[in-house]
Amino acid sequence: MTDNALSLFQLCDSNFPTGSFSHSFGLETYIQKDIVQDPETFSEWLKVYLHEQLAYADGLAARLVYEALDQDDLEKIWELDRILTVQNLARESRDGTQRMGDRMLNIAESIYEIPILSTYRQRLRNKQSFGHSAIVFTMVGHYLQVEKETTILYYLYSTLVALVQNAVRAIPLGQTAGQKVIYSFQKELKQATDKIMHLDEMDFGVVSPGLELSQMQHERVGIRIFSS
Amino acid sequence: MSNWTGVLELDMESRQGRTVAKNVYFQGAFKVMRPVYHNNYSYPCYYLLNPGGGYLDGDTYRMSVSLDEEAQLTLTTQSSTKVYKTPKSYVYQETEFHLKKNSYLEYLPDALIAYENAKYVQKNIVHMEKGATLLYSDIVTPGWSPEGKQFSYDTLRLKSEIYMDNELVAFDHIKLQPEQQHMTGLGFMEGYTHLGSFIVIGEKTNEALLDRLYEAIQEDSSDFAFGLSKLAVPGFTVRIMANRTQIIERIITTCHQIICDEWYQTKPSFLRKY
Repeated sequence: MTDNALSLFQLCDSNFPTGSFSHSFGLETYIQKDIVQDPETFSEWLKVYLHEQLAYADGLAARLVYEALDQDDLEKIWELDRILTVQNLARESRDGTQRMGDRMLNIAESIYEIPILSTYRQRLRNKQSFGHSAIVFTMVGHYLQVEKETTILYYLYSTLVALVQNAVRAIPLGQTAGQKVIYSFQKELKQATDKIMHLDEMDFGVVSPGLELSQMQHERVGIRIFSS
Repeated sequence: MSNWTGVLELDMESRQGRTVAKNVYFQGAFKVMRPVYHNNYSYPCYYLLNPGGGYLDGDTYRMSVSLDEEAQLTLTTQSSTKVYKTPKSYVYQETEFHLKKNSYLEYLPDALIAYENAKYVQKNIVHMEKGATLLYSDIVTPGWSPEGKQFSYDTLRLKSEIYMDNELVAFDHIKLQPEQQHMTGLGFMEGYTHLGSFIVIGEKTNEALLDRLYEAIQEDSSDFAFGLSKLAVPGFTVRIMANRTQIIERIITTCHQIICDEWYQTKPSFLRKY
């Protein structure tokens, strides 16, 4: 691992304060319905979430942002910020990604002096952009000259680790069971990254009906420890 | 243009408070019937029909509808749209709506039925000005298959982009590929076969309306699952999964009635089809 990859790895820590601990992206709905209740059923949910939603939205956006940064095509990045936000038809998930994006941008700005981060911040202030952690993460990865594929893989990993931590608290699972899930997902993360590298831009934002329904339904679930 | 299997253009305007067509053009396998002014409404209902009886291999359809300021329109189909097997190339339907300020469009087509090995791609693009209102629904269902398979179609891809004052405000993309997805499983159709969507954009959307819709839908005791959520602009989406078209239609009708009541104190017309 290069020093730069290590720097990017800091953003993957589940203690990195983006507020990801308060968002389950519909997982809590499945927990409330007793559909997700152990490491096996949680892994099943995580697989679908990773391959059928995250890959087409955050993952593909990360790749396209990276490519746009290579070509210095900033307009493309702002377009992606918008589509990545509005494709989320479930309000809580959409608001959640905005809040997390905003906080990740804050911390990234305090660590790095990257001009594009300031531009992004300015756009958020002017309400020209929404803010999304996949975009901030990619901006940092690109700045650190971490390869595109690695940047995507790390971003997916960071999301996965946060969701596992949330599952450990909410289902609940033992910490060891959680770590075993993370370990067992190494292959899945590579597969998802591989798929993202080969996706066509027209595949952007594909959503799986059941997942989306659970994210909408979360607004009205009885007991909530998460905001999405 | 002439490469399309069917083309339809419909441009509406408001003349002294009454909405009339200023351009109706259709060609090939796409038609509209004479407009009906239900209940002496000041605006018409147009019924779309596909004289061919269904969409075949490689068919391409394009529809473009525009509403000038204050114009109102109901657009529906005369019956369900059937997509038959498409061994060579997918069926493509493209629809563009242009809605000027204070115009009102309800586009409530019948269900789309995708038969064995059908590949269907639909793209909707809506350009609206602030103050315009859109009610949009679609229902996709699997057709009967000789082997009794639940999902025998190949691909259904439905993409919608909604722009307000030239900015993207909602984006929806559903892709169902039964061969490659665990359709009945968690995260997919979760035991259901039919999928319905109802997207509404209107400045009068508020929490009270959403609560009323939610409660009304919940009162329906049939077997279905649904989600309801606000968009990034005043408006919302209702997504429904069920095993029968009628259930989804009933829920959409319920929502439609509540909107008409809350926003206009009117009752929507019953869309007579036969």
